[in-house]
Amino acid sequence: MVLTPEKQTTKLPPSTHEFADIIHRLEAGGSMLPDTPENLMQIIGIYKAYAVPMDFYWRDLLYIAEQVFLEPFPFFKYFISDEYLQRENHYAGDNADLRIWRGVGTAHPELLAFMEKGETTKMPKLLHHLLHDRINMEFAEACMRAMLWHRQMYAPVNQFDAYLDSDEYRANADRAIKAYFQGNPAMLGLYKLFPDMFLEQCRQMSYYANLGLFWEVMAPVFFEMSDIYDEGGFKGVPDAMDFLVNGIFAIAGRPIYHHVYIKGECYEIIPKSKGFTWLYEAALPYVEAVFYRTAPFRGTKSYNAQAGQVPEEQKDFHFGILYADVFPVGTAGIPPTLLMQDMLHFLPQYLIDYYQQHCRGQEDILIQLGITFQRSMYNVTSAVIQALRTALLYPLDDPNPKHLQANREFFEMQLNRFCRPEYNMRDAARLRQIQTQDYR
Amino acid sequence: MLSVLIWVPIFGALLVALFPNKLPTGNVRLGALFISGFTLLWNVFVLIKFDVSNPGMQFRENIPWNETLGLNYQLGVDGLSILMLALNSLLTWIAIYSSSKDTARPRLFYSLILLISGGVAGAFMAENLLLFFLFYELELIPFYLLISIWGGEKRNYAGIKFLIYTAVSGALILATFLGIVWLTGSKSFAMSDISTQSLSAASQLILLVGIVVGFGIKIPLVPFHTWLPDAYVEASAPVAILLGGVLAKLGTYGLLRFGMSMFPDAWSAIAPTLAIWGAGSAIYGTLTAIAQKDIKRMVAYSSIGHMGYVLLASAASTPLSLVGAIAQMVSHGIILAILFHLVGVVEAKVGTRELDKLNGLMSPIRGLPLVSALLVLGGMASAGIPGMTGFIAEFIVFQGSFSVFPIPTLMCVIATALTAVYFVILLNRTCFGKLDNNLAYYPRTFWSEKMPAFILTALIIFLGVQPNWLVRWSEPTTTAMVAHIPQIKTTTSPQIALK
Repeated sequence: MVLTPEKQTTKLPPSTHEFADIIHRLEAGGSMLPDTPENLMQIIGIYKAYAVPMDFYWRDLLYIAEQVFLEPFPFFKYFISDEYLQRENHYAGDNADLRIWRGVGTAHPELLAFMEKGETTKMPKLLHHLLHDRINMEFAEACMRAMLWHRQMYAPVNQFDAYLDSDEYRANADRAIKAYFQGNPAMLGLYKLFPDMFLEQCRQMSYYANLGLFWEVMAPVFFEMSDIYDEGGFKGVPDAMDFLVNGIFAIAGRPIYHHVYIKGECYEIIPKSKGFTWLYEAALPYVEAVFYRTAPFRGTKSYNAQAGQVPEEQKDFHFGILYADVFPVGTAGIPPTLLMQDMLHFLPQYLIDYYQQHCRGQEDILIQLGITFQRSMYNVTSAVIQALRTALLYPLDDPNPKHLQANREFFEMQLNRFCRPEYNMRDAARLRQIQTQDYR
Repeated sequence: MLSVLIWVPIFGALLVALFPNKLPTGNVRLGALFISGFTLLWNVFVLIKFDVSNPGMQFRENIPWNETLGLNYQLGVDGLSILMLALNSLLTWIAIYSSSKDTARPRLFYSLILLISGGVAGAFMAENLLLFFLFYELELIPFYLLISIWGGEKRNYAGIKFLIYTAVSGALILATFLGIVWLTGSKSFAMSDISTQSLSAASQLILLVGIVVGFGIKIPLVPFHTWLPDAYVEASAPVAILLGGVLAKLGTYGLLRFGMSMFPDAWSAIAPTLAIWGAGSAIYGTLTAIAQKDIKRMVAYSSIGHMGYVLLASAASTPLSLVGAIAQMVSHGIILAILFHLVGVVEAKVGTRELDKLNGLMSPIRGLPLVSALLVLGGMASAGIPGMTGFIAEFIVFQGSFSVFPIPTLMCVIATALTAVYFVILLNRTCFGKLDNNLAYYPRTFWSEKMPAFILTALIIFLGVQPNWLVRWSEPTTTAMVAHIPQIKTTTSPQIALK
């Protein structure tokens, strides 16, 4: 038996997959998003525009999880306290545990400026809120709820979900609920009658905390990427993806927990000591729930059970940003509109100039930025796929062809998610469209 | 006073034609817009001066011209023509406004449109048969040129077809006019000189049939309508607005003025036929519209349907139904204008008129949201939804005609229901649904492009909630006209039963 020289074995024959080009690119350490300067400029610009509202999202999510908690009438849950605006991000500023962004740890200056003046003028918070001159926090809550509804999707790897159903969690929650409603016989009586009602609310609060902690990481990552790009640090889309991969590994072990503050006292509903970590309990479920699955848009799919448009199994849900049709953004029944409007306030000038030159210029900027956002999320998903490959499989320059074959199968399996014929998933996936610049 | 309405556009047309060659298209358009705007303002002035309580001719002008021919320059307006005049100058202005800023050969284009405007105004005001005919023929060639120079792909075919049909219509009308004058032994072609009372019933009937067929081609009534879909569809949007909004009115106007008021006895004899004919036209127009795959064709066939109501109302010739006929003529003019304008915008932006390709235009950012919203409104107005002028006109027509011709009226009611059917089909396929992500990179629409539609919408809604402004002009005139018509013999059995 003649062994072929080692150098050649490191190369596998070309893939026959429908997205063979993309698989070859992933195998070469690239991204699902083609490496063009235009793409790099777009995705970094949108990371920046996304990070500012995200800086609000994570602060408010934690504020709701820790302070608002089970308030039966949470009228002011989006009126985040000053303490939470001043709260130091664990990954930014001088006091950071692990400094990702070199900027400040408190709320981003652009965010503070927007909260003060909005798109109108300086006026009390309540008026800003009533005039809808504000950050669309509902979008963050929708993401949280998507994660909540798609619980158990990573079982048994995912421990967080299992813990929410454990007796230990029940006991912790019970203590917090009783403390929260202390001196309120009506609510305590209700709790006595329907304990599960408050328990489920409490689980939802735990997901508020989970998502808040996830975004606490992503916001400084995106800020830093924007800064690096401005300094000329990234040479291409793969660089940007690699930064994300490295960030993912650096952060992977950070704790996910849920603390509630009642009358100045801290109740550890999910203690840090449980050892839930960022990568497995927040990042991967988030990507699965929000990028891939979420819930069908009310304005796109019929929930009619006879029509059979919405899958029966949650694993077949394909309504995340990777599949979303961005063209109807701005229409009724299209939830991402909320996020697009949020990002619109914080676009860097170079993106605004770029959008001016295309399609309807200023008029349809919301859709153009939505498509950019879709491109950028394909890049983030690529980073997650590469990170998973690094964690579970083999390096890209592995000399063993079996290992390379395993890598390829992993990539093909990931891309197969965009080719499934059921429920028109194949047509919904935007992977093919983002390969060209004509899609805007 | 009235001459201004004729000669300002006609001399304006000459002026536009003499504009320097190097003048940019936009400026030529502005010049034409100014001329037609002045005519429109003058028309408003005439409207204000118009004495609503006077049923007869007003602002008469009479200049002897050619005594041997019996052709005198005799003008006048009454309640029947005043609104048509206003509609003419309004739609001319709108047509010029909605024309593209880079029309090819602009001087010819705008002078032809102005020429048509002057000619049509003259026809509506002429009190002399021959003078009417001169003005009637004046729009023939300009329209032919407008269709076959600036039209769509099959413009030559459509232009020739239009030309032949209209020429035949003109020939029939001329023959009938000559017949009227010779048979009655009248000295001139002046309408006031002619009395048909002396004619035998048979010759009255023959002359009336000549008029009905001659104008029926123009309206158009069903067997004579085949030029219409081609001409409307191949014409560019401004020309289609004029064709549908103004030219069709010339047909019904002629029918009322020269058919009904000159041959009251014969008219009452053929009225039942006309009523059934009108109802048949209406049903045919709507059914054919349902079958169309091209939005402009749908709108064109809707026009046939709506003109059927006018014929029904004229046939019934009760005071109410005649008011309804005139109201329907006006409201059809406005509604057709807005629909053709919007269809023109859609075609210009999307690049297609096909129902199977259009989709999701209501989409607020990438679609044409305002245009679609106005299209929905126009469609609803056309289908006779209360609150808009279409309902007012149709309701008056039905109310006025039911006592005379219950069955044809019911058929027309069914036709309005079918109108709603095809407009819902049209709106569903064009405005609703989702955009095609591969194609939906439509250019933006500017406010100036939507302006005509806004003006017409305002008018549609205003006349819909304040219909007095639609009918007050014509009430005394129609009452006076009807007074000459003998009681129409109702022959069919259900009508007897209903009594």
